[in-house]
Amino acid sequence: MKILNLSSRAVLALVLAASLAVPAWPQTAATPAAYAIKGGKVFTLAGAPIDNGTVIIRDGKIVAVGANIAIPQDAQVIDATGLEVYPGMFDPITQIGLNEVSAVGATVDVSELGDYNPELVAATAVNPASAHIPVTRANGITEVIAAPGTTGFDLQSGGLIAGQASAFNLAGWTIDEMQINRSVAMVINWPTIQTSTFDFASFSVKEKPYADVKKEYDKSVNALSDWLDRARHYAQAKEKGSPALYERDLKLEALVPVVEGKLPVLVIADQERDIRNAVDFCTKKNLKMILGSGAEAWKVKELLKEKKIPVVLAPTNRLPEQEDTPYDKPYTEPSELLAAGIPFAFSSFGTAFSRRLPQYAGTAEAYGLPHDEALKAVMLNAAQIFGLADQLGTLEPGKLANVIATNGDPLELQTQVRYLFIKGQLTSTDDKHRDLYDQYRKRPQPAR
Amino acid sequence: MKPHARRRPNLLVLLAVCAAVLIGRAYTARGEGGEPRYFAVKNARIVPVSGPVIENGTVVIAKGLIQSVGTDVAIPPEAWVIDGKGLTVYPGLIDAGTNLGLAQDDEAKKRGTGPSASGPEDRPATTPWRVAADELKTDDKRIESWRSAGFTTALSVPDGGIFPGQATVIDLAGERTGDYIVRHRAVVPLSFKPVGGFFGFPDSLMGTIAYVRQVLDDTAWYTQAEPIYQANPTKTERLPYDRTEYVLSRALQNNELVLLPANNSIQIVRALRLADEWKVRAVLYGGQQGYEVAAALAASKIPVLVSLKWPERSKDGDPEAEQTLRELRFRDQAPGTPAALAKAGVKFAFYSDGIATTKDIFKSLKKASDAGLAPDAALRALTLDSAEILGLSDRLGSIARGKIANLVVTDGDIFNEKSKVKHVFVDGRWFVIHEETPPEKPGEKKSADDDDGTRLKQSRQVEGAGR
Repeated sequence: MKILNLSSRAVLALVLAASLAVPAWPQTAATPAAYAIKGGKVFTLAGAPIDNGTVIIRDGKIVAVGANIAIPQDAQVIDATGLEVYPGMFDPITQIGLNEVSAVGATVDVSELGDYNPELVAATAVNPASAHIPVTRANGITEVIAAPGTTGFDLQSGGLIAGQASAFNLAGWTIDEMQINRSVAMVINWPTIQTSTFDFASFSVKEKPYADVKKEYDKSVNALSDWLDRARHYAQAKEKGSPALYERDLKLEALVPVVEGKLPVLVIADQERDIRNAVDFCTKKNLKMILGSGAEAWKVKELLKEKKIPVVLAPTNRLPEQEDTPYDKPYTEPSELLAAGIPFAFSSFGTAFSRRLPQYAGTAEAYGLPHDEALKAVMLNAAQIFGLADQLGTLEPGKLANVIATNGDPLELQTQVRYLFIKGQLTSTDDKHRDLYDQYRKRPQPAR
Repeated sequence: MKPHARRRPNLLVLLAVCAAVLIGRAYTARGEGGEPRYFAVKNARIVPVSGPVIENGTVVIAKGLIQSVGTDVAIPPEAWVIDGKGLTVYPGLIDAGTNLGLAQDDEAKKRGTGPSASGPEDRPATTPWRVAADELKTDDKRIESWRSAGFTTALSVPDGGIFPGQATVIDLAGERTGDYIVRHRAVVPLSFKPVGGFFGFPDSLMGTIAYVRQVLDDTAWYTQAEPIYQANPTKTERLPYDRTEYVLSRALQNNELVLLPANNSIQIVRALRLADEWKVRAVLYGGQQGYEVAAALAASKIPVLVSLKWPERSKDGDPEAEQTLRELRFRDQAPGTPAALAKAGVKFAFYSDGIATTKDIFKSLKKASDAGLAPDAALRALTLDSAEILGLSDRLGSIARGKIANLVVTDGDIFNEKSKVKHVFVDGRWFVIHEETPPEKPGEKKSADDDDGTRLKQSRQVEGAGR
């Protein structure tokens, strides 16, 4: 069920035009030079919360945070009295901008045919007009990473090397305007040894002999290894050889930063064996690994700790991997990773449900994760894991002004985002959900 | 017209004479080839199953039947006498569910699934007219190997589909296929496995059960409508012909058993309810989680065919795959089912369920006895109870006068793995079981003359000398 679509912007535009009565674009006209958010309780995530604090924003950046700060003359003042001010949330594995309506093939741009597509860059396909963007940011998520090939009927359908993940802000007219980092990681869907496969012909689960499946698996891992070796050789040839003697190869070129250890690999794996194999592989190949999904990461804590491998957790509101695993394992896994000293972040792995991100942290908190760590796990940790902590994750001078002001604990379901700043711009929290709400509130009421 | 009519009686006489000659020949032909038809096994330990063990007893076999059994039995002069000193005579064992003699190719697997159906009217995977007896291949090598291990009778069950066909009770010896058949339309097996795939009907368990219910209702209607139409063809709308209804109507009126699939406790409880609702002569097959619902089974008085293929870890499965507690528990407790059923008073028999070798069948039986099944209960399940469930206890299952001469003679307890089967009688046909000596493989013999290495060395030396 691979859905290929690279030239469907026109169709997409039509679909969107038809579906959106009132587009909720960010406002760009006549914006003030600076903002001052004052009167709220400021959670900087870089120190203790500041009661009655002020955050000054200028030219897209935070310039000052503190209790007694002079408000510049030209600043528009936002009264946050009674509100709580936080860094915006960061959802590090999504398909936002790549997938509009899963059931409509023309709007899905998540993965490409073929198993090895390192040259693909998610940013090139992100649709800034996606209706999911306003919905997501209205829930306090200010930036995301779109990771290609991270969804489908099975992990492998996105390809083994699925492409490069891109980080961007959830407001802007073009991807260039939104982009934080074009390439933050190379997505690798680690092959799994799966003996039971679903056979569509008979619509039932078929068991394959382990030996056969293992052979397939070895083949995939060897092929992956070959690609990386070729990329290493390519890098060498490019650096030392004469340009006349090597042919440019976009796939290998894309892998060069990976083999040089500059670009991390985001390895998607769930089962203990797969995680171990992936860690061994990345160690042997000197790759900088980030583990994605990691349902059984709790079984390999020592290894992850030793190799300093961070984990981006898949949605935790699910059943445990194995029948006999405790029911609450997905909820307690985050605190286990914390106790083991393994950096981790929550993630939605989705599009329409990216807005649920704070719930995952909230549930983990109910199962033992300390509140400040739960906040970090949706605001700061992802930025650190993907090397963006110099720009994102805390309210400190010099950082990108992605800020939310809420009427309570942002991990609480009923909490609302009252003010939303993305790249220092006061951004609308209107979205399709609100449009529909308003539309149906006006419906004729039955006579009483 | 007249001359023709006059000649007819002559023709009939001629035919009758021919038939008499042919039938006579057919019957005498059985004894031809030097095969004796009267046997006596004397001085043996006899386990009749239907009565107490007889030490130093004699069994007399005459023309395929047991003529007499006891300690004080006259041996007819024409009998071939076998000295049974140190030997034990048991009734022949019954395997109450096999595919012995039925084709195992891909064609057989595919059969019954048929083209995609859109509803019950298309009769998906329904071929009740297939009778195992009609497809029996007596050159199936397993027949001899089953017989040599002491099995003289088997229920041969066609598979593939929801109504795969009708099962046949066969004895495991004969010259022609017909000789094997004890009862050709004995059992209607059912499967609840959805066959529809993605697009066809039925593709769910509930759909499959609803479909079976529909077919049984249609058959009941047909059974009522058929005589009404036959009695009044000029006053009744013509009865449409449906092969499924026609065949099943006869099978059910013939009181054939209906085999319902039920392996785990949920399936067993469901099958009991369906048996009650459908008012058929139900027998459950599978039954391996019977230990959980033995009381309910006993209360229903419905017998069970227990599969000897105990659940075990797949040999070509993932060695690192996590074993769930549920699977481990089932694997541990399933062999305890026969003991639990015996204790609760459930009538049950065993079936080999696709086990490839008789050695493995006895290993499975050993597991059941290790889990608490008494040897006499095990023997009963393999003989008389099995015959009773199949409705053939008047002719099979025990050593008694008038029963079919199916016997197995061993040099010790039949469940002792060191015991050997010495003789087997099937329908009074005598088989001496010789111990198999595996053929020597090339290179196995290590005497100096045959040692390839030595010879090679020698030949090299010769070559060297020549140079």
